Amino acid sequence: MAKPLAVANAGETFLLAFRNLRRNKLRTLLTLLGMIFGVGSVIAMLSVGAGAQAELLDRIRELGVQNVIVNSVRPPQQTRDEKSSQDSDWIDRFGLTDADRLRIERLCPGIDQLLSVNLVPDRVWHGSSRLDATILGVPPAYVSLFGLVPTLGRTLSELDEASASSVCLVRRSLLRKLGVLEEPLGLSLKLGNFPFQVVGVLEDSNYHEQTLAALNLEAGAHEVFIPHAASMRTFGNLVYKERGGTSERTRIEVDRLVAVASSADQVRTVARVIDAILSHGHEQEDYQIVVPLSLLEQQERTQRVFSVVMVLIASISLVVGGIGIANIMLATVTERTREVGIRRAMGARRSDILAQFLTETVAIGLIGGLLGLGFGMAALQGIVRTTGWKAEVGPTAIMVSMGISCAVAVISGLYPARRGARLDPIQALR
Amino acid sequence: MNSSAASSPPLIQLEGVVKSYGAGSAEELVILHGIDLCIQAGDYVGLVGASGSGKTTLMNLMGCMDRPTRGSYRINGQDVTSLDDDRLSAVRNRSIGFVFQSFQLVPELSVLENVEMPLFYARVPRRERRRKAQELVQSVGLGHRMQHVPSKLSGGECQRTAIARSLANDPVLLLADEPTGNLDSRTGEEILALFAQLHERKRTIVMVTHNPEIAARLPRIVEMKDGRILKDSRSGSSQPLVAASA
Ligand SMILES: Nc1ncnc2c1ncn2[C@@H]1O[C@H](COP(=O)(O)OP(=O)(O)OP(=O)(O)O)[C@@H](O)[C@H]1O
Ligand SMILES: [Mg+2]
Repeated sequence: MAKPLAVANAGETFLLAFRNLRRNKLRTLLTLLGMIFGVGSVIAMLSVGAGAQAELLDRIRELGVQNVIVNSVRPPQQTRDEKSSQDSDWIDRFGLTDADRLRIERLCPGIDQLLSVNLVPDRVWHGSSRLDATILGVPPAYVSLFGLVPTLGRTLSELDEASASSVCLVRRSLLRKLGVLEEPLGLSLKLGNFPFQVVGVLEDSNYHEQTLAALNLEAGAHEVFIPHAASMRTFGNLVYKERGGTSERTRIEVDRLVAVASSADQVRTVARVIDAILSHGHEQEDYQIVVPLSLLEQQERTQRVFSVVMVLIASISLVVGGIGIANIMLATVTERTREVGIRRAMGARRSDILAQFLTETVAIGLIGGLLGLGFGMAALQGIVRTTGWKAEVGPTAIMVSMGISCAVAVISGLYPARRGARLDPIQALR
Repeated sequence: MNSSAASSPPLIQLEGVVKSYGAGSAEELVILHGIDLCIQAGDYVGLVGASGSGKTTLMNLMGCMDRPTRGSYRINGQDVTSLDDDRLSAVRNRSIGFVFQSFQLVPELSVLENVEMPLFYARVPRRERRRKAQELVQSVGLGHRMQHVPSKLSGGECQRTAIARSLANDPVLLLADEPTGNLDSRTGEEILALFAQLHERKRTIVMVTHNPEIAARLPRIVEMKDGRILKDSRSGSSQPLVAASA
């Protein structure tokens, strides 16, 4: 059997289809609108979904997918009770210890690096201006692990660590808030009572909420990075805080441990083993394990459900658009019954007639898909601008929407086209 | 004539063709009651009879627009009664040319495009199709109207277009159902002259007409009544041909 003429002569059949569509401009436009809204909303929703997905990914990447972060936290039941408030020498002790670190190093396989972080909440002084800051004593590996690349000056080096030099990396906003006008490199700032020299300036952090939570930071906190050895030598691990007349002293040997698993598959095992190791010797819950990878997967799941629901809702308008096409094509077939009769008398086969009508619906699908793509991107712009969400129109979204619109067009055009093809030529000519 | 019929099969041969609607049911409506008809190549047959006598029905059968309920129909010796829809379409496309009373042109297409249509379905390449259609349009004297749409044409011009279209694939049989029925007598004469020309060029034509004057001029007249052939005669030499089936 010869292939349908429309296939052999696709170009001309398409031309004819466009001509027929042009003849009924308003009607075609109204039919197209359905497709445009349908395809547009599907694209917008797909893209919003993809954007959320991407944002999720880089939100978690900020924490490192291969990392297991263990924070020391104040155990929930340990509040300052009678006894401690009477005793001025009382020191709160909780959290991770150097012994924990050693045990993890010895017992937990699959860890590439294990980094300790010493957190010191203290003030930074520049002349007479001061600012509350979070001073992080970190090994040089930490700086590169979290991608803290100074845009000015240099980063913390092994030499800084080995010699416990009093140098620091600061955020640009900290300099601004302190009113530093001069060249920041080489500037001497006082961290607490101790002079530290600025060797590098980092751009301002723009941490996601999740990152802030995982890193025990408050939004807008000013981070100052200094070598771990310097922080231990200068500040130690005893934190003294005065609050409303009463003083509070806490000793946390290790504020944070960051274990870097040798691969992403290992992350969960590493987290489990660390938890098992730590559960011995910690009667109270004074540590908290954050596994960015698990967070990612958990949120991806919610995100995916959300995306699917959104796309389903958007698809409803596509279905409505499809019904519009079916409706218009039924009318077209009825209107052009005589033409069908003429074509059949001239030797057109049923398949030729079918192909002719289907080509018209595919043309609607293609145009609707293209315009819908434009509409979707415009709508997306609006959404992005008003909500600040991230959104991506990927090639998949484009292909999916074009595919969907053509599929919808063909499906909804099939019945009308079959009806046209099955017309009795004699009746059709009457 | 008879000798040539014996040596090669007739162009058109209907044997005991019955057409009925609602076959098998109690209210079977028989339109054609066993038609026997032979038409030799080059013949020009006038089909006459009262309204409702079944002329159009017979034309539709001969044009492969429809299948007989019973009986056989052969074109050039080939039985077409058992062909499927696609094959019948191909026969219509290659072997039959239709001319209708109401022209049946596609209103959105130009004269040229209307004439091209049978060539399109015959899968003739675009360029050649265009060339051939132009030739045909010129041959019916509409060279100056090629790009016009039917609504801008007179009735006579429409029918010329339809005739040009019917000739596109060089069919063996031209079927014209009251081609002058919608035209004034002068324009009708022009169309008849066109058919006469075609007849001179050995084209086989069957024409339905209600006009006895027109019928009288045709070489052969088949008269129908109530779904039967009443009379089949040759004019001019006026010798009756095959006896009417009864
Ligand atoms: N699809 C159909 N179903 C039932 N009856 C039909 C059908 N088509 C035609 N007929 C009947 O068949 C009979 C013959 O019709 P046909 O059109 O062949 O007549 P005709 O000789 O061409 O008449 P006219 O000269 O008026 O054109 C008519 O009585 C008509 O009502
Ligand atoms: Mg009739």
